[in-house]
Amino acid sequence: MTDRSGDVLPTDQSIGGVSDQLTGIPLHFPAERRWLIAMLFASLLLLMFVISVIALFTRGVGIWGINIPVNWAFAIHNYVWWLGIGHAGTLISALLLLTQSEWRNSLNRFAETMTLFAVVCAGIYPVLHLGRPWYLYWMFPYPATMGVWPQFRSPLEWDIWAVLTYLTVSLAFWYTGLIPDLAAARDRATTRIWQIFFGITSLGWRGSAAHWLRWSQAYRLTAGLAVPLVVSVHSEVSLLFAAGQIPGWHSTIFPPYFVLGAAFSGFAVVSIIAISLRSWFGLNNLVTDEHLDLLGVVLLATGLMTAYGYIFEIFDTLYSSEPHELQTLSDRLTGAYAWTYWGAIFFNFIPLQALWWRSARRTGWSLMLISIFVALGMWLERYLILVTSLYRDFLVSSWSSFTPTFWDWSTYFGTIGLFLVPFLIAIRVIPLISIFETKELLHEEQETKHG
Amino acid sequence: MTSRSSQRMNPPAPRQWSSVEELFDDPAFQAWIDAEYPAAAEFAPTARRQFLKLMGASFALAGLTGCEKSPFVAALPYVNQPERDAIGEPRSYATAVLLDGYAQPVIATTYSGRPTKLDGNPEHPVTRGRSDAFMQAAVLGLYDPDRAQGPARHGEPVTWKDVGAAISLLRTTWGSDQGDGLRMLLGPTSSPTLLRQLDALRSQFPKMRIHLDAPAGTTARAALTTAAYGQALDLHYVLDACDVVVSFDDDVLGPGPDQVRNARGWAASRRRAADRPGIALYAVESVPSATGAVAGERLIADASRMARLAEAFASALDIAGAEAWDLTSTEQGWIESAAKACRAALERTLVTSSACGDPATAVWVARINDALKGAGHTLKATRPVMGPADAGTLAELAHDMRAGKVRSLIILDCNPAYAAPGVLGFADALKQVSSRLHIGLQRDETGELCEWQLALAHSLESWSDARAVDSTASILQPTITPFYDVRNVHQFMAMLLGEIDPAPDAAVRATWQSAFGNDFGARWRAALHDGFIEGAAPFVDATPSTTTNMPASNTSEGLDVVFRLDPTVWDGRFANIGWLQELPKPLTTLTWGNVVSVSPAFAKRMGISNGDHVEVEIDERKVVGPAWIMPGQADNTIALYLGYGRRRVGRVGDGLGYNAYSVQPADHPWIAKGRLRKVGGNETLAVTQLHHRMEGFDLVREVSADQPALPQPKPQESFYPSWPSSKNAWGMVIDLDSCIGCNACVAACTAENNVPVVGKDQVTVGREMHWLRIARYYSGEAETPRSFFQPVPCMHCEQAPCEMGCPVHATTHSPEGVNQMVYNRCIGTRTCSSYCPYKVRRFNFYDYRAAPEAPEQAAQNPDVTVRSRGVMEKCTYCTQRIEAAHAAADKENRALRDGEVVTACQAACPTKAIVFGDINDPDSEVSRLRRDGRHYALLEDLGTRPRTTYLARWRDNGGGQG
Repeated sequence: MTDRSGDVLPTDQSIGGVSDQLTGIPLHFPAERRWLIAMLFASLLLLMFVISVIALFTRGVGIWGINIPVNWAFAIHNYVWWLGIGHAGTLISALLLLTQSEWRNSLNRFAETMTLFAVVCAGIYPVLHLGRPWYLYWMFPYPATMGVWPQFRSPLEWDIWAVLTYLTVSLAFWYTGLIPDLAAARDRATTRIWQIFFGITSLGWRGSAAHWLRWSQAYRLTAGLAVPLVVSVHSEVSLLFAAGQIPGWHSTIFPPYFVLGAAFSGFAVVSIIAISLRSWFGLNNLVTDEHLDLLGVVLLATGLMTAYGYIFEIFDTLYSSEPHELQTLSDRLTGAYAWTYWGAIFFNFIPLQALWWRSARRTGWSLMLISIFVALGMWLERYLILVTSLYRDFLVSSWSSFTPTFWDWSTYFGTIGLFLVPFLIAIRVIPLISIFETKELLHEEQETKHG
Repeated sequence: MTSRSSQRMNPPAPRQWSSVEELFDDPAFQAWIDAEYPAAAEFAPTARRQFLKLMGASFALAGLTGCEKSPFVAALPYVNQPERDAIGEPRSYATAVLLDGYAQPVIATTYSGRPTKLDGNPEHPVTRGRSDAFMQAAVLGLYDPDRAQGPARHGEPVTWKDVGAAISLLRTTWGSDQGDGLRMLLGPTSSPTLLRQLDALRSQFPKMRIHLDAPAGTTARAALTTAAYGQALDLHYVLDACDVVVSFDDDVLGPGPDQVRNARGWAASRRRAADRPGIALYAVESVPSATGAVAGERLIADASRMARLAEAFASALDIAGAEAWDLTSTEQGWIESAAKACRAALERTLVTSSACGDPATAVWVARINDALKGAGHTLKATRPVMGPADAGTLAELAHDMRAGKVRSLIILDCNPAYAAPGVLGFADALKQVSSRLHIGLQRDETGELCEWQLALAHSLESWSDARAVDSTASILQPTITPFYDVRNVHQFMAMLLGEIDPAPDAAVRATWQSAFGNDFGARWRAALHDGFIEGAAPFVDATPSTTTNMPASNTSEGLDVVFRLDPTVWDGRFANIGWLQELPKPLTTLTWGNVVSVSPAFAKRMGISNGDHVEVEIDERKVVGPAWIMPGQADNTIALYLGYGRRRVGRVGDGLGYNAYSVQPADHPWIAKGRLRKVGGNETLAVTQLHHRMEGFDLVREVSADQPALPQPKPQESFYPSWPSSKNAWGMVIDLDSCIGCNACVAACTAENNVPVVGKDQVTVGREMHWLRIARYYSGEAETPRSFFQPVPCMHCEQAPCEMGCPVHATTHSPEGVNQMVYNRCIGTRTCSSYCPYKVRRFNFYDYRAAPEAPEQAAQNPDVTVRSRGVMEKCTYCTQRIEAAHAAADKENRALRDGEVVTACQAACPTKAIVFGDINDPDSEVSRLRRDGRHYALLEDLGTRPRTTYLARWRDNGGGQG
């Protein structure tokens, strides 16, 4: 992921034109009808989420299909999935910023936006998942009169800090990156409301050299914070499982395995969004085939690394010959939930192989399809890690099964609404592709050409 | 406060009411109600009545406030009586509950006048403090909200005065023809008072007849001993004097009135030697049972083959007239092996046959026992305690009713409209009777058909008496003032005898007045205090007649259909007790229903899988139920379980399962020939354990006489430092060799720890709440498996994975090594359960608590927190008992003694398989067992260092089939 030679953006476009095009999206929204249809769909999902949460809070987590022994299922599973998706945004923005891979500049804004809302979706699950969610605050170290503190040995306690830190840093990074663009939108806004909105949110940005200097330092520093967080947060999430002794969880490979899997699923979702937005708003000049090519390469790379995790998980089990681990492996490969394992293998790795071909990477629909497969495959992977480990653990007498209920699904699809609604609002009100960074890249490319 | 004994001597004028209405008219009560329940005051009088009816437990409390002043305070506390009442201080009363008419002697623990827990009476020769699941659950039957709450006529509430008037009218008509059209139907009873009253009634109306309804087979038992010995006898197994037991389709250790006694004897024998199993059990059975599960050598044979096998066994022991023919080599091997063991043990041998079996088997078994000289030593006989002796059968009654010979029928605490064999058509015949009177705990299927529907007092709120299986008599004293408008059985009988408003205890006192004679006061007090009256019936000499012709067996074509009483709801009378419905049945772990049990090979042939609906046809009567493939069942035998298919028992038990009584034949009710076919449909059965094989894991370990010790584990390293231990360190050892899977521990735990009942749907999705489960495993082929039981409570790991998982410190480690659960700190992340390798934690997925107004609330142990929705819970080692023992010891400024803390499961266990104590004390029993060669920890390799550990099961050298 270093600098690539050759142009990412077509150089035959003017810098002012880019500004007009991108700030124009919130100011003169081009796809009102399609947006409204999408918004309607997303709102329905959000409504379903709200109903599910009301049912959950009034009746209890019994409305889900969980039981003893599978007392963690959809809530934790989707939490991990959403969080994984979120990580790609940070990786694209922050990691590529730090490595000065400037091709990121067309993708980073919405990738960061995606991160933000995916983390919100993820973060709500641990709350929903509680038996008594109204006591969530007991997880925070406040000076209680009884002198009780949270238990800092618990991975769940680490979890809440990891996610909150990640959310805060992601928000800060996203917003810092947004400031110059908000100023650009302010300068082009014609109605009073937008002028005030962008005026306030741009924090008095004037684009002076001093501003740019400070901004650049702050942005890079936040990026420097965000990148290790991706690793730490998802490593921590994996410890939620690895810290338990349950066969199928108790493995040292889990942290890197989870981080790579997260990046993999995240890049898949970034690809889905990039391709959708590009065709939606006609941004082929900014999100180019070259971008898709690069995304495809990254997807392939992270996918292969995830596959390595799969292989080594099996190797570890066979090498240890621990009977319960072998039992879990055989349950995964041949048990009642074998479809999740083989489904994950298929959706994650089989269509992915098409990405070895350049034409598949550069074609919108094929990359889109493969990415959807990967998102699905990674969802199945989280399902299998949770359910196939828990449904048959050590004592045969406690073996059972898990069947998701209507409310499991409605809560899950509801969170897709919870993701889409703010995301759609965001693309409606903020420049969804970083204007200044795109211009910067364009400028550099033009300079090179002229030079 | 006046001491209880002085009140007993001079009962003060009671503040008692004879009907609900009368009570409501009491201005003081009305004022109290208005103050307590202002909303009630606003209701119109009729609406208020309805409101009060729904108040359930509050109503019960209303009754209790009157407790101190009622005559019931004559009940005598079992333990040293406190000088004054202290709120929250439990009191214990010795009394008994009934099973099949036998007394199950109990100590009832009461709080503020409400019984919450029953345990076996430690002094009683039958229980010695031990109990079974029925005894444990009886207290919930007392608080059953669907009990008949007052007398009614055709469903309309009446007063007992009305009932009295009606009875006196009826008495006039009975008197006119000496009771010619009068019949009385009741279950078998051992109550001297009831038998005396029945005799009195018969002397008043000499032409009346009494009939017995014994769905649990008491009359069948008498018929068998008559066939074998020429007289009706009660047989007593002295298992602790046996070296060898051979059982022919007899569930010696299975549920029933004899279970506690037999299980105690079995366990005592089993532990007799330290280096080998002290008793060998050879069982042949058609349907797997607890007995077969623990047998060293188990033979599988069809039910109709038992007589032939018994004869072959007799022939192997050279008994005259016995021949062995047509045996398979497996049968031959088993018989030779059992005969060899019997010859070696001789008079220390016991051979048994089922009380519900074939008469020919019983005859052969009686002769074998006689030949082996076990009779009188390992097998004792007494005159039967069940009466009345010359009663007619249910079939005769049905016949007479149809013939129009019955004009009045009094049905006393039995339910023939449900439990009569279907062929009798009892419910239809009942309609031929002009005056029908029913008194029972429930207005059940029979009560529904009767004109007069009277409410009977539960045995825990009655004065009565009864005999235990060894014929020792107990006086039942009330542990609570009746909180419904009920009469006890003797009051009702006295009304029939012409008394007006009889006192609750008058009849019982009168019976024992004559028995005790001049010394009545002291002996009565002693009897109430001890819970029983010393002196069992003398043993009689029982010699089997060798000349009787062998009874013929049913040799017609078809499958052997055997009927079995349900191990948790018994003959159906416990169907509305949630604790028992949710108790996983031994071997199947089924809850909330019954099944048609078939063998694996048969199921394969018929293409049946678990839950498929099958139709069983016997003599053209058909019933449809879900199939259950039972590993180890005989191929040509199917088993139907009685006790389900009830329609009018209450909101817990209605509409569950199928009614096997509907196809039960009347003449041979326990074994019949029939057919089975698969019909469409399938249902999900609520089982608590879905997988039965150990899958090669050494969860239940075994030792044999050749290798009596397990390899000693290596010391384990741990990253975590050990917890510092305070003076006591609690531990539990469970002897898998003694466990017979009887469920007494699970029921006791449920009662002690306020474990909620979650219902069929929740069990089906895997959310049962039992803190202690009895894991059941099979090894070997499904056709001939070996079965294992393993009770699994919380392991209280010293390095507990759950403790590090909880983010809010809701599960912690006590200085005494108990893994604690802090319910009110729990936020329900369920991490502890996910991390628990033993999956012993239970979660309140919903609010499982009983409604605040439900009478069941009164059964709850006030020393144990009731858990709300969203909270994890699990075995606490009965921490409330540990703390109570600490408090008692601290008061006396001394250390805790070994055996002072007894957990509920330990107290209940009839085989003493569960031992709890201080592992810091090297002399405690639990420490001694932890040094035993059979000692091991479950999943030891995980390094969790469990405090609950196991003793391996003995593998008898024969090994048995499979």
